[in-house]
Amino acid sequence: MEKENVRYYCTAGNGMESFLIDEVKKKLKAEDVCRVPGKVVFSTSESIQRVTELKSAERLFLLLKHDTPLNLCAKPGQASNLLQSRLLGDIDSWTKAAATWSRLQEELVDRVQKVDKRGKERIEKKRKRENEEEEERKRASLDEKDRKRIKSPQDVEETEDNDGGTDPVSFRINCKCTGPLARCLSSQEAGRVIGVGVSRSLGWKSDLKNPQMEINVNLSDDQWILGMQLTRLPLANRSYLINTGVRSTVAWAMASLAHIQPGFCVLDPMCGVGTVLVEAALEHQDACFLGADIDDGQLQKANQNVAHAALGKQIQLFKASCMALPLPSASVDAVICDLPFGRKFGTKQHMTIHLPLIITEMQRVLRPGGFLVLLLTPQLSVHLKKHLSTGTPAQELDTELQCNTLEHQATFRVSLGAIDGLIQKYVREKNGKNST
Amino acid sequence: MKLLTHNMLTSHVKGVTKGYPLLIKATEVKVNEVEFNPQFVCRMIPKLEWSALVKAADDLGHRQDLPAELEPDYEKNEDLLKKVHRALLEVEVVEGSLQCPESGREFPISKGIPNMLLNEDEV
Repeated sequence: MEKENVRYYCTAGNGMESFLIDEVKKKLKAEDVCRVPGKVVFSTSESIQRVTELKSAERLFLLLKHDTPLNLCAKPGQASNLLQSRLLGDIDSWTKAAATWSRLQEELVDRVQKVDKRGKERIEKKRKRENEEEEERKRASLDEKDRKRIKSPQDVEETEDNDGGTDPVSFRINCKCTGPLARCLSSQEAGRVIGVGVSRSLGWKSDLKNPQMEINVNLSDDQWILGMQLTRLPLANRSYLINTGVRSTVAWAMASLAHIQPGFCVLDPMCGVGTVLVEAALEHQDACFLGADIDDGQLQKANQNVAHAALGKQIQLFKASCMALPLPSASVDAVICDLPFGRKFGTKQHMTIHLPLIITEMQRVLRPGGFLVLLLTPQLSVHLKKHLSTGTPAQELDTELQCNTLEHQATFRVSLGAIDGLIQKYVREKNGKNST
Repeated sequence: MKLLTHNMLTSHVKGVTKGYPLLIKATEVKVNEVEFNPQFVCRMIPKLEWSALVKAADDLGHRQDLPAELEPDYEKNEDLLKKVHRALLEVEVVEGSLQCPESGREFPISKGIPNMLLNEDEV
């Protein structure tokens, strides 16, 4: 029964879709992977536990419907009716999806209980995670109560026939209309219409405050996607991080580009609170990670994160300037760095001035053939490009390092909330012109 | 600071040509039990400066008869791997300092984190 193929979709930050596609293909052997702006739709027979472990996704849904849109604007008076008949015409698919949703929720509760048992064995970890587990347990037992009320398709039919007997599913519709469609039908109105339809044809109960099931509806000009939310907290919320820096999904994506292999030593020369290191270390258990920062406060928080995630074995921290790293040349296998965006690290100008030195130092400690992955602002990337193409670092540098040996491989534009950042991937050439 | 970190750190004080290995002066050392992962230790060994690890462990009183020379078949010697695991990952310098062997410059270690930051005139 575990081998049944289930069709899901995940939401992803802007620019993160390609990372999510790679991840579901690699970790879940996903099939029929389909990219939609801000979302990835896929099928997998892997367990729901594995699916919830995705690192580049925001939220997870069970796919209910993925359809080509109808032109509702053509007949304004009938928009509501058309919408209802299109989305609710096939009641069977709804009751089936509800049964699958219910089964997956059950499996997720089992996971929580397993985590609990394992936690007892690992006393050290447990103490740190106790609070979260407690919360999750409370949530799970709450869910369990809710779930008992949700019946399999047959039962639902029976319930309808018998006119009651058990409590119906309580639900809420989160609807979003975009594009020209939104001009003739507001998100609110569409949500209301669908909600009324679901109540009427399935007998489910609308509950805006505390529903058992959240149904997401996205109606755009290209496609209509409906899904049932599977976890209340977004997958992007990491229980293992206390202090957050750069978005964890983006940090994970950066690490995924660094080609980390067992036995590698990976450096983040401006680690901040260590988000990149933690995300990378959890993914690569047989590699070791070094984090440097110039700020005591950041290092303290990074230390807390490392301890909380129980990664003390893999992650080592020290205080140093990224312009004078206390490491031998060509000593690390990969460098990953979220270049500060100016707010924490003096002014933007400051960053621009020091960029050549910072890059040169990263290049020095990186072994030939090793990868450098940077997250930076579009403006800073212009400076970097100029610097790398002219190859004129500060005069006081060794002649050996005058020559740039970094070769640009790829750039990804990702949303960081209010602003966009660029993830850039470089490789240090094996035979630089001046290399010894 | 674990000895794995120590094994990598160097002093780059202006004028110093070989600021390695740093001399450990510990005032507080603790030993934390860490889950033994033989693969991890095996992967780390080729990256180590073996003599620097042995000396550092010895200085801290945790050498546990680690050999001066690393045997070629270390992957198969679980007893040795366990000792390396202990020296590399379990022994931790909480307070103390690291001294550059060439310039004598001391880098303080506080709450387990070495401060390798140089003054402007040292770069």
